[in-house]
Amino acid sequence: MNWQSAEVLAHIDHIILSEGYGCDAQLIPGDTMPTFTSMNEKAQPDVAPELWVNSLQEPLDIAVAEGRLVIAAESLSEGGVEGWWIPQYLADAHPEIKTIEDALAHPELFPAPEDDSKGAVHNCPSGWNCQISTENLFKAFKAEDKGFVLVDTGSAAGLDGSIAKAYERKEGWLGYYWAPTSILGKYVMFKLDEGVEHDKEHWEKCTGTIDCEDPKPNAWGASKVFTVVTSQFVEKASVAMDYIKHRQWNNSTVNKLLAWMSDNQATGEEGAEFFLENNLDIWREWVSEEAAQNIKKSLNITG
Amino acid sequence: MEWLTEFPSMDKESLRALKKAIDGGFREFTRGYGESVELLFDPIKYFLIQSEHFLTNTPWPIIMGLICLISWIASRNFKIVIGTLITMVLIGYFNMWNDTMKTVSMTFVCTMLSVSMGIPIGIIMSRYNRLQRVITPILDVMQTMPSFVYLIPVVMLLGIGKVPGMLAVVIYAIPPIIRLTNLGIRLVDRDVLEAADAYGSSAWQRLRNVQIPLALPTIMAGINQTIMMALSMVVVASMIGVQGLGQPVLKAIANQYFTLGVFNGLAIVGIAIIFDRVSQAFGRRLQKHQEIVHGN
Repeated sequence: MNWQSAEVLAHIDHIILSEGYGCDAQLIPGDTMPTFTSMNEKAQPDVAPELWVNSLQEPLDIAVAEGRLVIAAESLSEGGVEGWWIPQYLADAHPEIKTIEDALAHPELFPAPEDDSKGAVHNCPSGWNCQISTENLFKAFKAEDKGFVLVDTGSAAGLDGSIAKAYERKEGWLGYYWAPTSILGKYVMFKLDEGVEHDKEHWEKCTGTIDCEDPKPNAWGASKVFTVVTSQFVEKASVAMDYIKHRQWNNSTVNKLLAWMSDNQATGEEGAEFFLENNLDIWREWVSEEAAQNIKKSLNITG
Repeated sequence: MEWLTEFPSMDKESLRALKKAIDGGFREFTRGYGESVELLFDPIKYFLIQSEHFLTNTPWPIIMGLICLISWIASRNFKIVIGTLITMVLIGYFNMWNDTMKTVSMTFVCTMLSVSMGIPIGIIMSRYNRLQRVITPILDVMQTMPSFVYLIPVVMLLGIGKVPGMLAVVIYAIPPIIRLTNLGIRLVDRDVLEAADAYGSSAWQRLRNVQIPLALPTIMAGINQTIMMALSMVVVASMIGVQGLGQPVLKAIANQYFTLGVFNGLAIVGIAIIFDRVSQAFGRRLQKHQEIVHGN
């Protein structure tokens, strides 16, 4: 997987499976959709350590029902957090901004890149599911009437870059983002309250769909984040399966790890080693005693 | 004997410190000068926005007529005009008109910039061997460096949107026109130049009346490559927030909407062919003129 939290988790899996269980594990980078499709159609690769399933609920349900894929575990215990965020310094300077409605009352604080007279809501990258929901919420909160434009960021790199630029210059920024991510570990952001409860039914019927005629304000629910494996993998690697079933961590652990990685320009592999070296109490519960010894030996950890 | 099997690399700590120092330095730079750099690009931004406004806000029949008129004036060829018309109608019919106009505007501005900067650079480069030795490796870097490597700093400096997108496109599209202008002029026959000198032509006359006309076929090939490369960068540019046909292509890639991808991809191909055929026909007419002037 090609985002940081998934990358480091994949490296942790890699170290644990190869050092702890003596498996011949290989890492294959890939985006969500290609990885899922390849696993579904070709049963390759075996494991997707961190799959955000909101965007592919339906195909995943079908694949599970037809026995091609197996949901092994919930890898993020709290699920992912999505929403509209503003930089913390802006939230401190304007304590009255707490909700999306509050922020939308101040287009002058969030100038659009191509038209200073308007405010900007930075959209989720093209083709991601959050692009649809952000567009619908943009309509639902009547942001256009309040002097806002929806800015297409194109890719995760574009979205990250726009946050980094705003943050370095202490400019206003408003847009979609999600946690756990290194950006949120590095740049402290304030999540705006949606002002309404998560309405699951309306979300599925309207907010999350392309042809939503009349979107109502809605709140993001926690995203389910699963480890998904192929059914072949379950059959041929039952020991590894035991580990994957138990592997679970929470957002604050991940945010902290990712922030350490960004600060130190660490690769996923270095991040994984750092995690294994410093969070013995967390990962010991994932693995068998024997595997734990092997891993400790290979990384020279005492204790 | 570890140094034999393992390359003696910089130790992890100092490598990390080096990377951090460079990143930190760049961050300081964006903090300090970001705004002034952004101001520098304001005229281009204004131009890009105006050109897009014009193409998207003018009623489509006017734009369509305008495009056909331009292709007629440039090519004087009915086949090309009819081909253009059919392509534009198909694009409009499949509901890609707005995105296509945004892409046409972007590509047009980028090609114009590339050609107007590239040809003079190529000409100067053909005069001085030393300059050629300096510019060639720079062009190599521009063409092979993965665009995201320089897009990240550009986005941090200029934000997302049209201007960084244009930079990405121009960096990628300008090398062929520079290279081929340089090559075309260098390939002009020495005897012909001697003849021109013998007739007492000044350096400017020699360039304008002998070298450029004789190099024109090569230069036109360069323009063709520049256009093609500018259009092929549309998708990459859209990854940093440039609107147009690239956005739906990205959407198609992310969601595996095969048809959506093919439609928008074909629209990009369509406008590439129109741009190319029109400019090439124009180039051929230009060469004919020159031949008549020379009395051949």
